[in-house]
Amino acid sequence: MVTDLATYALTGLGLVFFWAGTIGLIRFPDTFSRLHALTKADNLGLGFIALGLAFQADGWATLAMLALIWMLALLAAGTVAQLVARAALSPPEEDEE
Amino acid sequence: MRTDFTKAAIHRTILFGGGWLALTGADPAALAPGLLVSIAAVWLSLRLLPARHPLVLWQVVRHLPRFVAGSVSGGVDVARRAFSPSLPLNPGWVEVPIDLPEGARAALGGELSLMPGTLAAGSEGNRLVVHLLDIDAGPDDVILREEAAFAAIVGQTRTGGA
Repeated sequence: MVTDLATYALTGLGLVFFWAGTIGLIRFPDTFSRLHALTKADNLGLGFIALGLAFQADGWATLAMLALIWMLALLAAGTVAQLVARAALSPPEEDEE
Repeated sequence: MRTDFTKAAIHRTILFGGGWLALTGADPAALAPGLLVSIAAVWLSLRLLPARHPLVLWQVVRHLPRFVAGSVSGGVDVARRAFSPSLPLNPGWVEVPIDLPEGARAALGGELSLMPGTLAAGSEGNRLVVHLLDIDAGPDDVILREEAAFAAIVGQTRTGGA
């Protein structure tokens, strides 16, 4: 019962952050500011959703899986944000570094 | 150099072995293939990314609470700006000289993208190009603090200030 409430509250909070990330993606004025919104808000949103789902886990294996998912998503977010920002920064002609 | 190699091999065995255990729920039937897969993964990773700067694990653990706190305040900050009707943004750029090995600088860039107000866009030489959501908020010291944390994680001893 209490665990269900924790799941509702935390996943709900997670959804708020995903919503914020999307609002930022639409409202922010340029590519770089939009990347801020997507990476940071979605990272936190996924973190809260994973935490909320952890209250429904029936064993450590599920917890480990949730943690693994969050870590991989974090790794991807940080890396991809940097690459997209890099690509947006470079002049349009191909430049090999 | 030999100890660096051993240390990196141990760290990566823990990483890949742990990943396998998490994926399979430590199913006993999956242990034998997991052992083979982990050994293959460690061997391949050491070929693709040779051990140069083995991580100081307790420094990683030590950094974790600050990383979580930074993630939360970064997400809250950007959500507040996104929802605010006046859209309080004052974006700009800084280039910060980062005295870290190549890979650690890229990792720092990835992490900064999750911290409040900063977004890395790769490096120019040894300078990390960072986009700031609010250039007046002064996140420069955030960047320097994170740099120091990463230096400790790769076991770099700092000479001089910063």
